[in-house]
Amino acid sequence: MSSPPYVTPQHPQGAGLGFRRELIGALRQGVPDCIRFFEVAPENWAGIGGRSARDLREFTERYPFVCHGLSLSLGGIAPLDEALLRRIKAFMREHGMTLYTEHLSWSSDAHQLYDLLPIPLTEKAVRWTVDRIAQAQDILGQRIAIENASYYVAPPGAEMSESEFIRAVITQADCLLHLDINNIYVNSCNFAFDPIAFLDALPLERTAYLHVAGHYVESDGLLIDTHGAAVIDPVWSLLTRAYQRLGGDLPTCLERDFNIPDLTTLTAEVAHIARLQAAAAPPQRRSA
Amino acid sequence: MSADFQDFQRAFGRHLRDPAHTPRPAGVPARRMAVYNELLFNNIGSFLDPCFPVCRELLGANRWLRFKRAFYRDWPLDSAWFRDIPRDFVRYLNSDHARLPRPRWLGELAHYEWAELAVDLLETPKITYDPAGDLLAQNVILNPALMNLAYHWPVHRIGPNWRPRKTALSCLIVYRDGDERVQFSEVNPTTHRLVGLLTTAPGPGRQALLSLASELQHPHPEQLVEQGRSILDTLRQQGIILGSHP
Repeated sequence: MSSPPYVTPQHPQGAGLGFRRELIGALRQGVPDCIRFFEVAPENWAGIGGRSARDLREFTERYPFVCHGLSLSLGGIAPLDEALLRRIKAFMREHGMTLYTEHLSWSSDAHQLYDLLPIPLTEKAVRWTVDRIAQAQDILGQRIAIENASYYVAPPGAEMSESEFIRAVITQADCLLHLDINNIYVNSCNFAFDPIAFLDALPLERTAYLHVAGHYVESDGLLIDTHGAAVIDPVWSLLTRAYQRLGGDLPTCLERDFNIPDLTTLTAEVAHIARLQAAAAPPQRRSA
Repeated sequence: MSADFQDFQRAFGRHLRDPAHTPRPAGVPARRMAVYNELLFNNIGSFLDPCFPVCRELLGANRWLRFKRAFYRDWPLDSAWFRDIPRDFVRYLNSDHARLPRPRWLGELAHYEWAELAVDLLETPKITYDPAGDLLAQNVILNPALMNLAYHWPVHRIGPNWRPRKTALSCLIVYRDGDERVQFSEVNPTTHRLVGLLTTAPGPGRQALLSLASELQHPHPEQLVEQGRSILDTLRQQGIILGSHP
């Protein structure tokens, strides 16, 4: 093994797929043409050796990868995990990754809780989160993109709407938007709002990256953002709407984390993303 | 001084860790809180369940659930890495925090089960060595993806059909082979100590064996060095020693 220490940086384009151990065997037989990049969570793939590290490197040498974080807890109470960020920076450099995204959420109070929780929509929370994003961007030496998260509880005491909160954070932190289409849909059903109006109210001009995924519907109709099912038509329609606003040039990833089907089934969904991207007209410039 | 939005976060976190004994945060509907309680606890379980199959089976589903619940409630989790959740569970089981009654060997069994995951993922430096080098005269290069373990209990023999009633020192080396597969090797206490010396004081095999002879107050150190040559060769054949470096 005499591979160079760093993979040449490659920026993601087109349609991509979440990289999972379960899929490596099939991907080794041949990566379908429509899959132009992959996405990994650094919390699962950075700082490890052995088979998993070797497998990852085999693919990062051939394809662009997006680094999509889960544990940074941008809205959390405990001090920002600078050691994690430094490790992520080294991981991205090693594998030639250019884009790091995290959720606009919190996953730790004084200690880790390991899942994504909703930030109260207050002015203080905006300032708190903005400071932490700025700190993360300083350590990484680049702008990060933050993802609109799914949630099941609207924290009491909101001083603004969610889209106002997202806009305030993104503009004040001078960061990018990671637009998750499924999360908008899930939240719009669980909290009875119009997903298109919500989409239109976001600072879409900051969009760097998109997600689509499937979700689970509980017996009482509540939608759970599991990434464990096929993408449904209303979510495809919302993605189409987003491309009408943004154009089809932005990299878009299919997330699938549970009930993982065979690669052929996932490829059909990635190919559908690619078709919607190709069909999108150049971005509309809205004069408000 | 704390901002008000953090009061909500603290109340939310408290309830997530101990939903049965803490109030639901004000203004949060029960149905929606239940979603988070289930999601977060299941998430922790998804990292613990696959790592500890023997502990789970021997404890039974109900006790296993109580251990997971107590761990999530009582143990401060500070690592961003999901792979550290099982490591922290092992630390919890071996600490005074774990108050649930349990077999005396449970903490060591859990450590042994976790070692497989830990070795599989160990990040290792790239090293150069001569695979055919003289292990007595030259610096011994140990496999860096290795854990040299000693347990009071025969953890590797514990299973549904056998549980130990008394302690028995058990030395096990867990390591990745050339194909990056995790292997387990049971060794005697002398070999365990030799690998320990080669880890803490890297050097030629001869030097480690002479240290060992001195520790054992061996009457004929050169005899131990000669025996040591075949121990080192066996360890090399297994892939526990990679080779030597001048």
